[in-house]
Amino acid sequence: MVKLDYKHRQAGHCESGVTSNLLNYYHFQISEPMVFGIGAGLFFSHLPFLKMQHAPTTSFRVWPGMVFNRSTRALGITTINHRFRNPKDAMNRLNEVLDQGIPVGLQVGTFHLPFFPPEYRMHYNMHNMVVYGYDKETYFVSDTLMEPVVEISYDDLARVRFAKGPFAPQGRMYYPVKIPAEVDFKPAIIKGIRKTANNMIGVPFPLIGVKGIRYLSGKMRQWERKLGPDKASYYLGQVLRMEEEVGTAGAGFRFIYGAFLNEAADVLNQSWLREISFEMGENANKWREFSYLGSRNCKKRGKPEQSYDFLADMLLEVADREEKIFRKLAKIN
Amino acid sequence: MEENQNPVYKNKDYGQSRELLYSYENDGQYKKTVGFHGEPDRIILQQAWDLFGERIEDARKRVKAGKVSPVVYYMEKNLLDPMNLGMIAGISLWRVKWHFRPVVFNRLQEKTLKKYAKAFNITIDQLKNIE
Repeated sequence: MVKLDYKHRQAGHCESGVTSNLLNYYHFQISEPMVFGIGAGLFFSHLPFLKMQHAPTTSFRVWPGMVFNRSTRALGITTINHRFRNPKDAMNRLNEVLDQGIPVGLQVGTFHLPFFPPEYRMHYNMHNMVVYGYDKETYFVSDTLMEPVVEISYDDLARVRFAKGPFAPQGRMYYPVKIPAEVDFKPAIIKGIRKTANNMIGVPFPLIGVKGIRYLSGKMRQWERKLGPDKASYYLGQVLRMEEEVGTAGAGFRFIYGAFLNEAADVLNQSWLREISFEMGENANKWREFSYLGSRNCKKRGKPEQSYDFLADMLLEVADREEKIFRKLAKIN
Repeated sequence: MEENQNPVYKNKDYGQSRELLYSYENDGQYKKTVGFHGEPDRIILQQAWDLFGERIEDARKRVKAGKVSPVVYYMEKNLLDPMNLGMIAGISLWRVKWHFRPVVFNRLQEKTLKKYAKAFNITIDQLKNIE
């Protein structure tokens, strides 16, 4: 039996929460927004040709795994990433690593997770959690979405680690092995902000970043005419679900990113970043307002001021705000 | 956002867990609160579950009427679409869609049925006869 002295803390976003908790285990103080910012997690993309749960995919963050990899690399932390072919090897390796006293991050699918809140139990293969001990057939799990720590059986864990479908985890496990004694946050933060700014305004492709928000706004105007009221309302609901639910901590990560900019202003000693963090917060509140009005629309209380055109105009305004913010952030040095 | 109020969903199991939520006050403070999701979030989640429920019920009726094969019903019940089902069962998308026809489904080999049964986590008998 192994049960490490691991401190479980709830987090808004699963992957940055897991990374921050894993590093904190080794007494390396780093907050969740900091990990998210350094890992350049903020993103936007709208892919109408890729359907998820019968509606187009809207994503507010980068591919899974990137936040952990980027943030640890930028801070000079050595990590190990494993994928496996068969469940038995994967579970044996997990036990070996736990025996050495190392808590392990896992990528899992959510559909068969027994402790997961039932309202989120959809096919989503990009969830992250930490295993910090085992006792024969029982594994001790810290899931940042949940308030308490939980337990899971051997069979269930093997199953969720090898969930199939798009973005299959293939038993992916990861953990930091070597943390340098002295870490300089400054270059990492600057690099992270530059990367995010580039993702949001520098990619010459219309479905990504600020252009993606404008593209979504244009699409939204056509939904009611092309798809009929029911389907249009469901499509809108899908955008809002991706924005508010499944571990975004609200407003499509904009609150976390604002909190990161606020912290970065202290670390870098640049006060203009704090002003931008306030702008980001206002922008996030605008997203919140968008989701509030949008959800009224989903409830079929279509008043004129909550029409799709109105919501699309709101998105355009948000896009302008974000473009302004990231044009400023791109000049950081 | 309503803080620390347990929301009421149609299904009593939903909305029992408290989550960490970030927010921003206009005086420049970022706040972290642990609480339940507010009303807007509840509406959009309920909308998705309503749609899934409708699709499952619709699929059941069509299977009973003999218009589609039971694969469709179990696919909807597991919240899958043909592409995901193909990836999970290890059958190509076009074959999955082909198997939606009752005539085709009835003459499927044991091997293929086993693949579907494994993907849905049920027995072959259950696959052939839906409740």
